[in-house]
Formats: sequence, C-alpha cells, structure tokens
Amino acid sequence: GGGARMAAAAGAAAGGRSFSFKVVLLGEGCVGKTSLVLRYCENKFNDKHITTLQASFLTKKLNIGGKRVNLAIWDTAGQERFHALGPIYYRDSNGAILVYDITDEDSFQKVKNWVKELRKMLGNEICLCIVGNKIDLEKERHVSVQEAETYAESVGAKHYHTSAKQNKGIEELFLDLCKRMIETAQVDERARGNGSSQSGTARRGVQIIDDEPQVQSSGGCCSSG
Amino acid sequence: VFLSLTLFSFNRKKMNLKSERRGIHVDQSELLCKKGCGYYGNPAWQGFCSKCWREEYHKARQKQIQEDWELAERLQREEEEAYASSQSTQGAQSLTFSKFEEKKTNEKTRKVTTVKKFFTASSRTGAKKAEIQEAKAPSPSINRQASIETDRVSKEFIEFLKTYQKPGQDIYKQCKLFLDTMNHKRDLSIEEQSECAQDFYQNVAEKLQTRWKVPPEKVEKAMDQIEKYIMTRQYKYVFCPETTDDEKKDLAVQKRIRALHWVTPQMLCVPVNEEIPEVSDMVVKAITDIIEMDSKRVPRDKLACITKCSKHIFNAIKITKNEPASADDFLPTLIYIVLKGNPPRLQSNIQYITRFCNPSRLMTGEDGYYFTNLCCAVAFIEKLDAQSLNLSQEDFDRFMTGQASPKKQESDSFSPDVCLGVKQMYKNLDLLSQLNERQERIVNEAKKLEKDLIDWTDGVTKEVQDIVEKYPLEIEPKNQALAAIDSENVENDKLPPPLQPQVYAG
Repeated sequence: GGGARMAAAAGAAAGGRSFSFKVVLLGEGCVGKTSLVLRYCENKFNDKHITTLQASFLTKKLNIGGKRVNLAIWDTAGQERFHALGPIYYRDSNGAILVYDITDEDSFQKVKNWVKELRKMLGNEICLCIVGNKIDLEKERHVSVQEAETYAESVGAKHYHTSAKQNKGIEELFLDLCKRMIETAQVDERARGNGSSQSGTARRGVQIIDDEPQVQSSGGCCSSG
Repeated sequence: VFLSLTLFSFNRKKMNLKSERRGIHVDQSELLCKKGCGYYGNPAWQGFCSKCWREEYHKARQKQIQEDWELAERLQREEEEAYASSQSTQGAQSLTFSKFEEKKTNEKTRKVTTVKKFFTASSRTGAKKAEIQEAKAPSPSINRQASIETDRVSKEFIEFLKTYQKPGQDIYKQCKLFLDTMNHKRDLSIEEQSECAQDFYQNVAEKLQTRWKVPPEKVEKAMDQIEKYIMTRQYKYVFCPETTDDEKKDLAVQKRIRALHWVTPQMLCVPVNEEIPEVSDMVVKAITDIIEMDSKRVPRDKLACITKCSKHIFNAIKITKNEPASADDFLPTLIYIVLKGNPPRLQSNIQYITRFCNPSRLMTGEDGYYFTNLCCAVAFIEKLDAQSLNLSQEDFDRFMTGQASPKKQESDSFSPDVCLGVKQMYKNLDLLSQLNERQERIVNEAKKLEKDLIDWTDGVTKEVQDIVEKYPLEIEPKNQALAAIDSENVENDKLPPPLQPQVYAG
C-alpha cells in the first residue's frame, strides 16, 4: 500500500540523484488522454503514419536540474464498466494525471469521482494534476475556468490547460508534476531517515537505482515497446 | 512439472476407465473403497473413497517430497563440487558424465516397473498393489524431468557468474544459503516464504551495488539470473501450494470463464475485427502466449508470456483501427483473450508471480503494466454482471443458464468459441441461400419470358388473322394486255407459215 509506494520514491532518492516515478493517466473515453501522452512522449498528433504500436504504457526520461527522472506513464481504461478496477492500476503510483475535455461537463464530473477515490486510497502522498484538454476548442467550452481551478485547489491538486492538437501546456504539465514528485520523494526520504525501521516492511517498492543511468529493457529514450 | 503430472494422472484415469468398461459384471465389493472402510470408492481416486484417497495421496506426496528433497540435496552437492572445480574444467566434465550414466540407469528401472504394472493390472489383488505403486510412480519421472532442467539452469547460472569474477562466487554462496534456509522453512505459510524471497532479492540487490560494486547495468542482469536460478528450484514447493486455496480459486475462475462462453466481442466493445485474417492470426497468437504462461517455472518467464500476449493484442488493434492502442482498447481485448483462451491455473500463476517475482520488475516497467492489466482482466471476469456487458438482467440470466444464446438473436455476431471453420461454414451457407434465391428469381423470370413469348406469338397471330379477315385477299384476273402479243389475232392461222432457211448451191 502507501508505505511501499513511499519507499519506492524514497529508495530512489537514497540511491543517488535518480528517480523512478509511476504516473497513472485517468480520464473518460474521448477526452484525449492518449493524444496528450503521445504528444508528450513522441511529439505526434493524429499522425496517419504513426509507427507507435501502443499508447497505453509509455516512458520518458528527463533531467531536471541534474536529477535524472524515469517516468513511466500508465494509461487506464476509462470506461464506466472498468471503474471498479481503478485501485489495481493506481496502486503504488507517485502521480496521477486526471484529464477532462473542456467542452464536456460530464468528463469533469468523472474527474471529481476519481479524485475522491485517489485521495481515499492513497492519501495526500500522490501528486494530482487536473488537466482541461482541448483548449483549441475554447469557443465550445462547457467547464468554466473559475470552477475548475477552484475545485482543483480545494482538493490539493494543480490545474492545467492543454491542447494536444496545438501542443500547448503539455511540457509544462509534466515538468511541473515531476518537480512536485521529486519534492514529495525527498520529504519521504528525510522522514525515512528518522525511522529506518520502516525499510523492512516497505521492501517491495524499492527500486534498484544508482548514480549511473539505468539500462532500460525496452531501450530508447521514450520507448513505447 | 505440474503439467506432466496432470497429463500422467489423466492417462491413469483413462486406463482405469477402460478397465472399468471391460468388466461388465461388477462385483458389489469392487465398488467399495479398497481400504474396506465401507464407503464407496471412486476409480478417479484409485478405488478409494475420498477420505482414504486423501490419506493415501498425502502419504505418496510426502514420500515424493522426501525423494525430491534428497535428489535436490544430492544435486546441490554435486553442483558445489562442480563449481569448486570449475577452474579445472576436466573435473567438471567427468562429473557430468557420471551424472548422465546415473540417469540412464534410473530410466531403465522405471521402464521395468512400468511394464510390470501393465502385466499385474489384470489380477484384482495385483491391481491394488499396482495402483498404489502407480500413485507413487510419477515422482521419480517428474523429478528427473525437472532435475534435467534444474541442472541446465544451474550450469547456465554458474557459467553466467564466471563473468562476474569474485562477486560471482559471493552471489552463488548467497543463493545457496538462501535455498538452504528456504528448505528449512517449508512449514511456514506461503506469505512468509514470499517475504523471505523478497528480503533475499532486496539484500542481494543492495550487496551487488554497494558491497560488490557491480555496475548498475550488470545488476539488473544478475538479478534476472538469480531469480531464474532460485525460482527454478523453489517452483515445485511454492507454486500453488497445498496450504493455500490457490487451486480452489483456479477452478472457480476456470468454471466462471466456461460459464461465460457466450460473451461476444461486441458485448465487450473489443476493437478488433477478426474478419481480417491478419487480425485473427494475432488473436490466436495472443491466446497461445497467455496459455503458455503456465508452462514456465521462473516468474520473469511467465511475465514475458504476458508481455508477448499484449504485443500481439496491440498488433491486432493497430491493424483494425490503424492507430496506437490506448488502455481503453487494450483492456477489453485482453479480457476477451482471457475469456477465449481460459488459461490454466490463472490465479495460481498470478499469485506466484506476485509472491516471488523480483519486485523491481513488477512494480514499474512494461512487464509490470501488462501484469497489472491481466490482474484487472481477471478481477473484471470474476465480477462481471449484466451491467458490465450492457445487457438487461433477464438476458444475462438467460445466457448464463443457457436458456438462450445471443447467437440466435444477432445472426451477424458469432460467439467467441466458434472456430474459424464453423464461421466459414455459416458464411458459405449464407452465400448458398443467396444463390438459391437468385436462382429462383432467374427461373421465375425465365418462365415469365416464356409466357410473354407465347402471348406475343398468339397476339401476332390473332392480329394477322384479324387483318386477313378485314382485308380478304382478292386475286384479280390476269391482265389481257400482258398475254401474248398476238393471242387475240384471229386471223393468225390464215398467215403463211414462217419462212424456212434454204440452201442454194452455187
């Protein structure tokens, strides 16, 4: 549970200046979460000749102020019928990106449900990002900026506006999330430094990470397999 | 190991069935438990009642475990010697040879006992003995099969460790130590054994990095090899152990999937079109991969099967939709594949991977993601109801009880278990009925044409007759002027005869 996840981040930090984070991607069917993550990892949008086989598990390597970050982005099935499976997906994740479509009020309500659930299951340790996608369709907006931002603040999440189509706001979103996850991990690390007895029970989440860059089994910088 | 065990017991059951059929006059005493406890026996339990069979089986199993243990110990001793003498390779070779010789003799003795069994099975008193022997028989043969693989893995492991020089020997010692401790911890619950394994993974990983200063890229490789080595040896003790209800859960899932045979890809909104040959090919491959998982002994190899299966699913989606698959596409398809394949011992495999896989692989990384999806698929199947298939409760209940089949309602959609041949047959039948329809239409039109022709002829005849009647044909007398020019010349015969040519001499 939460202990293991905390250790995942903390263990990563303890090994050197390198982190491994798991981020889950949540959102209803047509909000464009696949486009969002494909734009970020492959810089592609609705490309007819796209060679990527899948967009459900993508990785990205970053270097933020000398700290290496390995990001694993887990897409989740957004259909209502799979809602109950959520906890299996977001177990041990460091961050969650909750995407809604600014032209679709329902998709924003769905985000609210997920936030409630995530907070219940993972507490405050998980970094939440609420993302209003499709700002290129500003004219058809059905979710007010004011409402969305106020809500995000009330649940301790950050709010972002993006357009996968126009490649707006996406880099910022992920960079910001990574910085916040590093912060959380470092806080955990310090907390763990006080009570080392925790390490015994939290072993399952521990990453083998060292100062040197890791060789990824899938290869490539943002491989999709 | 388990696969061959199941096969063996299956054969055994078949043999028993045969002999049962042969004997038409069944003695009442033959139906009773062979232990004489008064209850009825069952051929599937070697003629024992369920209670006595459990006792007998337990005894046989205990013995088997004892034998396995002895063999493992002996092999370990040999291996250690082999490793010690690995610098002088000649020594190791002769050792392998003697081991090989030993195996051959084992093989011989087993053959003899099998033959004996066949002969003694005919007499009733002999049959009892033979069957008890049979119950114990699988252990040596399975031991051997497993030990061949174990030997191979051990040799590979030792070879691999040589590339690590000094740390290699330390790693080997640690693994040995762990296996020894585990052998003394068989009485612990599976969760506690899992904790031990996880502790071990963590300790070795830490030592590799900090104490032995192994470069990071080699740490991961080493961890994979360590997992392979220890889990090949632990598998038979910790996979689907008797102390858990893993087996019960396996059977429940299997039964559940069988009961859901009527679920169509349309109900799950599966985004693959199996009409496309390439796609159906991918679907078949994915099913094969997920079934293959059960045959692997190392958790990582099992994970690799899930990953392979997932890649085939992605290909199927990619061909159908021509865009990269998202989780919204992937999960329903994986559920469909699991329903279609009904992979053996699904729960046992999931539990085994969770308990004994190297955590760094399972927590993050691609393999971990696909494994999580498989867990989701199984959870979904277990809880699946009318709502999750967008069906009414009545329809769902009728399909579940077999009172109705969705096939009859929608002729286009075939149930997932219908094989390609049957599908083709349905298509051909459809085509034939269409042809038949067209044929009939042609015959009808031909008949109509015939009738039209006849009508037309009649009509024309009638018209002609009418016209003939209306305008009767009057043949007028011959025109006189047209007769011979001199026909009316009455005085013709009064004319002199025409001049005849005459010849004059001169």
